[in-house]
Amino acid sequence: MSFVEVWNLIIANPVLNVLVALSHILGGSFGFAIIVLTVIVRLISWPLTKRQLKSSKAMQDMQPKIQELQKKYGKNQKKLQQEMMKLYREAGVNPLGCIWPMLIQFPIWIALYQSIMSALATTPESLLGLAHRLYSWDIVSQAIPLSSKFLWLDLGQPDPYFILAIIVGGTMWVQQKMIQAPSVDPRQQSTSRMMMLMMPLMFGFLTLMFPSGLALYWAVSNIIGIITQYFFTGGWGYLKFRSPFQSTQ
Amino acid sequence: MFLLVIALLPLALVSCISGRAQLAKGWSGTAVHDGVIYVGTVDGRVVAINSSTQSQQWSYSIDPPATIYTTPVVDGDLVYIGTYSGQVLALDKLARNQGLSFPQTRYGEWEWDCPIQNAKSIAIVADLLVSGDAIYVSSSNGRVYSLDKEYGDLNWESKILDKKHGKLWTSPAIQGDTLYVSTFDGHIYALSLETGELLNWSFESDAGFASTPVIYEDIIYLGSFDRHIYAVKIGSDTPMWKFPQEKPAGNWFWASPVVYESIVYASCLDGKLYAIEAETGEKLWEFDAVAPVVSSPVLMDNLLIVVDESGTVYVFDLSTELEDEAVPLKTILIGADTAVKSSFCAQEGLVYIRDEDNWIYVVDIDKGEVNWKVSLTIEE
Repeated sequence: MSFVEVWNLIIANPVLNVLVALSHILGGSFGFAIIVLTVIVRLISWPLTKRQLKSSKAMQDMQPKIQELQKKYGKNQKKLQQEMMKLYREAGVNPLGCIWPMLIQFPIWIALYQSIMSALATTPESLLGLAHRLYSWDIVSQAIPLSSKFLWLDLGQPDPYFILAIIVGGTMWVQQKMIQAPSVDPRQQSTSRMMMLMMPLMFGFLTLMFPSGLALYWAVSNIIGIITQYFFTGGWGYLKFRSPFQSTQ
Repeated sequence: MFLLVIALLPLALVSCISGRAQLAKGWSGTAVHDGVIYVGTVDGRVVAINSSTQSQQWSYSIDPPATIYTTPVVDGDLVYIGTYSGQVLALDKLARNQGLSFPQTRYGEWEWDCPIQNAKSIAIVADLLVSGDAIYVSSSNGRVYSLDKEYGDLNWESKILDKKHGKLWTSPAIQGDTLYVSTFDGHIYALSLETGELLNWSFESDAGFASTPVIYEDIIYLGSFDRHIYAVKIGSDTPMWKFPQEKPAGNWFWASPVVYESIVYASCLDGKLYAIEAETGEKLWEFDAVAPVVSSPVLMDNLLIVVDESGTVYVFDLSTELEDEAVPLKTILIGADTAVKSSFCAQEGLVYIRDEDNWIYVVDIDKGEVNWKVSLTIEE
């Protein structure tokens, strides 16, 4: 069995069939099916998300100590890194813990992208090809062919009005800002500021290139992430809403 | 590590784009007229092959290049074809033979561009239907158009028939002065042949219809995505029968069935051919092919010819009584390297098959072998 066959059997085809079945259950709306699938994926990955949030919360609590270390060893980066790692170790925190939920979602993104393109079957060949990937469930066969219309979107095409790109980029920025601790070190500050902008910009850009069905998944996933972070960490974290009239110190 | 993830993300996503690019390649079938084979190619040409010389008689490249799904329709001196870019072309055999620029109006040539009308696509995927003085065109904008066959003028256009999907990929069928159209959202609509207006009767099913309707003695037979063949009496709200009656078949009934002497012959993507009593929907016999059957069966005298995706030709003699597990009179392998998805035609003991790789195979039924084959690909 080739890698592609294994991939289709274990990941791509189940995602495709669940999406099509959900679409039928939700009155033929493929957009709602993507939203519900996003919720399901977030529920499945909840143990990992929980670990990530715990880690973020612990990082927030450690901020006074980290800032103290930054003041103390600001000029000696090597020593600062060592001391910070020691602090993380003692607190049982993995500063890179937030990456794993994202990595876990990679196969889902790829499967979802493939499923959206297959399910919407924009060409006759892709519609015919779909016949060999669908399960023999009544609920699936009654949903085919799917309609790509959802709100103002054609789920098989990028959003022409850039609204989704702004939502994806904006929600990603908010989500990151909530957990990203400010640094005292100016060099670290500029690095984290760059990172903070780079990811939302990159995803906003990808939204302009990819079918809006995939971008819808990103947007909903980010919104769920913001909500869970808000309730789990008890507020907006490091995201501070500042009045434009407030002077910066 | 974090930077690595960021770097890998676009690569991973871009790789899944390239792996799943949806290309419209086209699967135009063959038509034979006066010893000449007409077919649309993968690279957007209409080609005429002379059977006696087994070589290309003429070729016309559609400008701008467009994929072709429709099988050419030959009517007198004109060859009609629809393109994925939404054009209908009427090509004159003589003008094309002389290699003149297109269209030569003095030869009766014309072209018609499907109006976009806020649609996502105007691609013509379903075969054109030529009847009387008109050509009927199903468009991916969800409408049916009637064109004057001689001049290409628009007679009428229908309303959008499939609002949910916004496209029509099945051809209409005619009975009397009515045009019947099946849709992906599970409707059969009746339209006036004269005006294109919707008539009172329509039929609605839970599942979408995959195939073009076939009409036999006031009953419409067509295949569905719910793995059934439907028989619908014109004027009725409920299906006369659905086949299979107990549990659905193994896959979609993508191809149109053929009805002959009160028996419906339906090929299925599950690789089976079913013979069904037209009146009752009872199964008479079935046959298991090697591969899924994408194209419709074709009748030639008393012979029923089926070609599966692997390019295996099955010939059934309908003059003999076939048992529950039917055995074909002949099974012929054409040795195609790629799948056969196009419709094919059969005439005077010969079957004309086209594979995805642009080869035409001419199969002699009596001899049980490929008589000759020709590639439509231009060698550089």
